[in-house]
Amino acid sequence: MIRLCFNKGTILLRGEVGTPYGKWDPRVECYRIKAMHYWDALAYLKESKLAFQDDVPNLPPIQQLNSTVELRPYQKEALDRWRHANMRGILILPTAAGKTYVALKAIGLLRTQTFIVVPTLDLIDQWRKRVAEHLNTEAGAVGGGENTVRMITVSTYDSAYLQAETLGNKFMLIVFDEVHHLASPSYMQIAEMYIAPYRMGLTATYERSDERHSLLPRLVGDPVYTVGVEELAGEHLSPYTYEKMFVELTPDEQRAYDDEMATFRLYLREKGIVLRSAEDFQKFIMVTGRDHRAREALLARNRALKIALNSDAKLGLLGRQLEANRNEKTLIFTLHNDLVYTISRRFLIPAITYQTPREERREILENFRKGEYKAVVTSQVLDEGVDVPDASAGYILSGTGSTREYIQRLGRILRKVEGKRAKLVEFVSKETVEVGISRRRRHKKATED
Amino acid sequence: MLPSELLAVWKRKGDIWPRYARATEDSLEVANSLINAYKDHVGEKKSVLKAFASELEDKGYEYRFVRGLAYLLDRKGTFKCNEGINPVELRRRIFQATEELGLATTPERRRRIVETVASELKVRSETVDEFLYADLDSELVLEEFEPLAPDELLKEYNLSLTQTLLFDSTELNFTASGNWQRIFYAVKRLGLIYEVYKDGRFWVKIDGPASLFKLTRRYGTATAKLLPTIIANPEWTVEAKILWRYTNEICRFKLESWKHRAMLKSPQQPKVSYDSVVEQDFAEQFQGLKTGWQLKREPEPVPAGKQVIIPDFSLEKESVKVYMEIVGFWTLEYLLRKMEKLKKVEANMLVAVNENLACEKLANLEKNAQLNIIYYHDKIPLAPVLRYLEGAFQTVQTRQTGLLKSLSVIFTEPFVNYEEFAARIGVSTEAVKEALTEKPPEGYTAMSDGLVRRDKLEQIRRKIEEQLGPTGRLPLPDAIRIIESEGVADATKSLEALGYKINWHGINAEKAEVAKL
Repeated sequence: MIRLCFNKGTILLRGEVGTPYGKWDPRVECYRIKAMHYWDALAYLKESKLAFQDDVPNLPPIQQLNSTVELRPYQKEALDRWRHANMRGILILPTAAGKTYVALKAIGLLRTQTFIVVPTLDLIDQWRKRVAEHLNTEAGAVGGGENTVRMITVSTYDSAYLQAETLGNKFMLIVFDEVHHLASPSYMQIAEMYIAPYRMGLTATYERSDERHSLLPRLVGDPVYTVGVEELAGEHLSPYTYEKMFVELTPDEQRAYDDEMATFRLYLREKGIVLRSAEDFQKFIMVTGRDHRAREALLARNRALKIALNSDAKLGLLGRQLEANRNEKTLIFTLHNDLVYTISRRFLIPAITYQTPREERREILENFRKGEYKAVVTSQVLDEGVDVPDASAGYILSGTGSTREYIQRLGRILRKVEGKRAKLVEFVSKETVEVGISRRRRHKKATED
Repeated sequence: MLPSELLAVWKRKGDIWPRYARATEDSLEVANSLINAYKDHVGEKKSVLKAFASELEDKGYEYRFVRGLAYLLDRKGTFKCNEGINPVELRRRIFQATEELGLATTPERRRRIVETVASELKVRSETVDEFLYADLDSELVLEEFEPLAPDELLKEYNLSLTQTLLFDSTELNFTASGNWQRIFYAVKRLGLIYEVYKDGRFWVKIDGPASLFKLTRRYGTATAKLLPTIIANPEWTVEAKILWRYTNEICRFKLESWKHRAMLKSPQQPKVSYDSVVEQDFAEQFQGLKTGWQLKREPEPVPAGKQVIIPDFSLEKESVKVYMEIVGFWTLEYLLRKMEKLKKVEANMLVAVNENLACEKLANLEKNAQLNIIYYHDKIPLAPVLRYLEGAFQTVQTRQTGLLKSLSVIFTEPFVNYEEFAARIGVSTEAVKEALTEKPPEGYTAMSDGLVRRDKLEQIRRKIEEQLGPTGRLPLPDAIRIIESEGVADATKSLEALGYKINWHGINAEKAEVAKL
């Protein structure tokens, strides 16, 4: 008897038959197939008119859904394109354009076991809330200490990866929120180790600087729909302004900055090292693991950068800005957690970092949404996805040179609310390496992604 | 196990190995001063300990080494939040006050907010500032610390380094001197897949299901968790393939007990304990019988194809080995699967099955059984076991005899001792004796204990002839002396083979004489 069964994120085909989709596994003496090729293998067996027993899917029970999602025209078009592509593919929509609703509509139409994979715990909460509101059912959650599997289950990428061995055969539709994450070497195994035939990827920032996004079509499907910020700004997204404000380092900071940078540059000059690209820099960092002096040079540069990014002058400017715009709902972004807490202590603004207890995070975000808190300061944890509809001002005190980070931070203040004019302000320390970092992140405009 | 950024390695020509901490004066000094720092700073904040570690780094000690030790020490301590005010509750009050009084964009407003909350809580303003973020990791206070010796810390560090390197492994091969049941149990529990092969020794290759499709670090963490179970043995060799994350090249990593054992923390080898009373009873009773069979508990694994079976016992006599497995609780499916596996075993396997705990009708089983099954209730009956053992011994012997007869062995030495020869080729003495006596090789005569080359016998004959004298008789003791001086033990048989007879005068061998027939 030919028998298919799910085995730790793969399919085993037992019996006297092979398949072009699997490989002979001498360790267990039968064919082994990637979970994502399960349906191909199934079709092969059916076409060959072979009798077989299929023990692979282990789907949670179907629950009643009551879908109340109404789509905007561009969202509807995105969904139609996806359905025409055999319910596989990637939708590229700007943050705040309502990607979630497209996915919720798809779930409502398919009425099948669905796994939603998201980057952060905050997003698990947010998706569960949306599922409850718009599909009128309770979603399960995997990650952050929870482990309940339901017809609709939301998980972090981490948990989806770690638990692929047990969750891989439980879903028919898989939605990857912020799908660009999926291209990393470990996370891509999520796509390979789950059987779900229907797949949807959502992102505002499809391209990755490491080019690995080219792997995504094989795993999720091709990009089937793209729309940019400019096309939606005004009608579907808030109009916004962008401003760069320069600060001068304090004299002490300037002196320390110059000293540290001199140490760094001297070392590079002595060794004849030229750092032109991210790869050059990566190689240099590897050298610092072996060479004590190289490490000293690197540390000096990092200290200099930290001075520029965390300059006291920025705090003074932030104070003045907050005072002048006290009615705006404000998000403050930094690169380092230290600065988050410095700001939180100084201005007594709620902080959210990876160290914030989960309950407190929920409470702060809820109060921020309700308008009971006017401002929140955060490092990178709120970059993605979390929805604060009427935030209208964003201050970037420091960040990396990443375009993605910039677009995502911008997205946090773009959700459309009648009469809202959003503004994004970037603080940059004059005559420091930060000027270049800031230029890099806006090098590509958001709409071109 | 350490965070991967603290992993320090050496790499050369495709080989990789962790930068182990040797027990040098310097390393011990760093370990010692860190341990003392933790011991002396009970009641202080984590940030103070971090600052102490940074100082050591500034003194020029390798930063990954210092941080690695500190990381391990953090885990030996218990940190907790200072008691007094709950920081979460305090922050809630502060942020609410801020909403009422406005963001603290000036020092005056900040003071007002803090004072408002302080008076609500009936504490001083300074206390509010102190507790505002007292629950942050760096603010936690070391409550308790369990000190250890510096060299112990270094050994623990080295083990952690090794495990951290194994996070990036795609495959692990190892051999070990024992502990097999625990090792294979761990392999299974960790979701890994093994394959066994012989390369001089018994080797096991470890990876995971998806390793079939591509090189993956997916099973690296599980592999790292397996390591302590392997190195709990006195002897082992571990070889891993590391997919080095910074360069994406495959590197070899080798760990050997004779070289590395002393510098790695190794868990205590647990004592062999019996899984059940049934096993223990059987072992004790069997050993009480003095059957000539050696009983061994948890013998080495028996290959069954690429998989293994780890029997409960091995029973060995001369070159014949029988394995025994005791099955307590079982279902038909379990037993059928076991049989599938056992069919691949090229060894004698005896299975004792508990009839009381059977979930299925034994009749069903009998139909399918091609196994040697003994049923038991509370105790394993010894008689059928012994019967089986004797049978197995006979069978093996018959087979070996047949094998030996079919072989054309060419001997050259003057004597061939059955026992020695049997041991040399790994068969039983009886089988050798039977085969060689029935059809002695060309130019040899079979004796009771071995073969003698004809020319050797002729030599003996000449010596005896010389001494026979005119009477044609020789006292038996003289004849025996001659024969034994030539290295042949079986005098009677030799004399017979040479055509002499022994004339007995009473029962005293001293008075017996040897004469020609």
